[in-house]
Amino acid sequence: MSDTTQFRVLDFDCPSCASTVERALSNVDGVQHVEVHYATGRVEIEYDDSVADPDAFAQTIENQGYTPQPA
Amino acid sequence: MTKQSITQYYQKHRKAIVTATSGLLYGSGWSLGYLTSFEMASAAILVLATIVGGYDIAKTAYHEVTSRTLGIKTLVTLAAIGAIVIGEYWEAAAVVFLFSLGSYLEGRTMRKTRTALQELLEMTPDTATVRRDGELQEVPAREVEAGEVVVVKPGGKIPVDGEVVDGESAVNQAPVTGESAPVHKADGDEVYAGTVNQEGALEIRTTGAGSDTTLERIIRRVEEAQEAQSPTESLIDRFAKYYTPAVIVLAIGAYAVTQNAILSLTLLVIGCPGALVIGPPVSIVSAIGNAARSGVLMKGGEHLERAGKIDLVAFDKTGTLTKGETTVADIEGFGIADDDVLTLAATAEKKSEHHLADAIVDAARERPTAATDGGATVAQADETDAGSRSIPGPDDFDVVAGKGVIAHTKGTEVVVGNRALLEDRDINVPSRIADYVREREERGETVVHVVRDGDIIGAIALRDELRKAAPGVVTALQDVGIETVMLTGDNERTAAAVAEEVGIDEYRAELLPEDKQTVIEAYQADGHVVAMVGDGINDAPSLATADVGIAMGAAGTDTAIETADMALMADDLDRIPYAVKLSKATRWNVLENVGLAVLTVTVLLAGVLTSYVTLAAGMLVHEASVLAVILNGMRLLRH
Repeated sequence: MSDTTQFRVLDFDCPSCASTVERALSNVDGVQHVEVHYATGRVEIEYDDSVADPDAFAQTIENQGYTPQPA
Repeated sequence: MTKQSITQYYQKHRKAIVTATSGLLYGSGWSLGYLTSFEMASAAILVLATIVGGYDIAKTAYHEVTSRTLGIKTLVTLAAIGAIVIGEYWEAAAVVFLFSLGSYLEGRTMRKTRTALQELLEMTPDTATVRRDGELQEVPAREVEAGEVVVVKPGGKIPVDGEVVDGESAVNQAPVTGESAPVHKADGDEVYAGTVNQEGALEIRTTGAGSDTTLERIIRRVEEAQEAQSPTESLIDRFAKYYTPAVIVLAIGAYAVTQNAILSLTLLVIGCPGALVIGPPVSIVSAIGNAARSGVLMKGGEHLERAGKIDLVAFDKTGTLTKGETTVADIEGFGIADDDVLTLAATAEKKSEHHLADAIVDAARERPTAATDGGATVAQADETDAGSRSIPGPDDFDVVAGKGVIAHTKGTEVVVGNRALLEDRDINVPSRIADYVREREERGETVVHVVRDGDIIGAIALRDELRKAAPGVVTALQDVGIETVMLTGDNERTAAAVAEEVGIDEYRAELLPEDKQTVIEAYQADGHVVAMVGDGINDAPSLATADVGIAMGAAGTDTAIETADMALMADDLDRIPYAVKLSKATRWNVLENVGLAVLTVTVLLAGVLTSYVTLAAGMLVHEASVLAVILNGMRLLRH
């Protein structure tokens, strides 16, 4: 089943950083759709909950050098 | 400090610590090289400064490369490595340090813009006191269910959306509607989560809790608005897609021709169109956030940019310039008693939903009960209805849009309507009646004629008070060079009187609802950028036709928020000059930011190609321009 989760990243420092995080998240297994907004820092992930591990999302964002907060 | 709290502190302030360390190392490495002859030591410290400051950048660059995006961090990493390879340690450390410092400051300032809205959400209390099984219980606000009764003490914040079922109080609705004056609330009134109960205890029957509240919906809409790209932003994004690769090609080409490594590396550093891509979103996010906190919802950057070009504002009269609370001002019977005129008109209008009809029916209900009705028994029957009487309905009735109604009751035909309706039906208006009508209309009142079986038996004058703010709002718009127009279905004379009272430039009278759209289209054809202000429901078509549709009093109505380009949460006309000025300021702000960015890029490119600007200086100017556009955009938060 498809599920949606949100994070808030307040420390994006450039629009291309947001695009990089968006690409990284869309490469995580089970992720169907990702939107990362530079302006508001909102990250929305739609994923297949039988495949994806939601814990991996925050980790992926951290790996890129940003701090995810639950929204 | 325990080991754990040190780790937490480091995690939280990592960027600041890394930047500061890299800066210190850079400073000492540079001093050592400049003041002494320990060149090896100086070089080592500068390389260390580059590694400390550059580790995180390089890590992200690695992710950029593996995810096949071309970001600034890749370019900075390449430039720093390149500088070290050719032995320019000072340049390498400077580039990395300046970039870290810039990003740190940019992240920090952007955080302020991003959290501006969150402060609104924090207005909602986490817990609510609910009456369950006859007892008061404290539960998480999100778990309150629709229909449950919540008790809010004086001074407490209201945790849910709902309807007052008991108590009376003044509520400060600023977080939702932007109104600074508290609003009186009693039985049956709607209240919103996040607003503050100032005086008495209130019991509220919940209609929405958790994420299903007006405040949450507003914030979601505002975020969607902030995320939607404006035309300027999409244009720049398309440009940026080609700009970065083009500069890289240029850097390679320049190296092939000149063999000047510093020149090529510097081109890489300025290869990210930083200020250009960051400027417009910051301006728009700040403006939309500012507007939201003042009770104005903007649908998106596109609408905001268009609103910045408005040169004509059209106002619907009823409910926009006026309070929309029509009351009967005078009744005149011609040959029959005033009361009978009113009763007959009320009977004919009873099933109509027009605001004039409501006023007539209300006035008839409130008339003291006639003695022949057997007042004593009626009054006894229902105490709450004391002083009001029931009005019989018509046997049948037809609405003639924009003109009036035609009804039948007890074998007689009753027509209640304006001059146009009388003309349609060839009803003769005696001069005595025409004089009365003219006199009332010149006071800005609307007059309906009451006709029984083809004869005019009376007239009813109705008055809708102007909003106090209306004349000031019109003047404020005129002061910034905006034309003002009033659109109304009222007759010429009433419209002229109201237009004069408000001080509006122009008025269009006797318009049917669909005519308002035509009028707006005509203004647009004349080259005007038109904003239309209306109630968002009856005026929905003309709001949609206008370049910018502004809906008033949208807090309770989701449709108004959906259809309008701008929605004023309260019935607060004062917000219109504010919103228009904010839009204009935003448009300028975006232009300033784009101008500054283009200028920076041009000067940098020229400087690099003529070898006046090298790595560190290029980076300094680049980062300074990014900070400048962010700070400029953020001025709109406090407009």
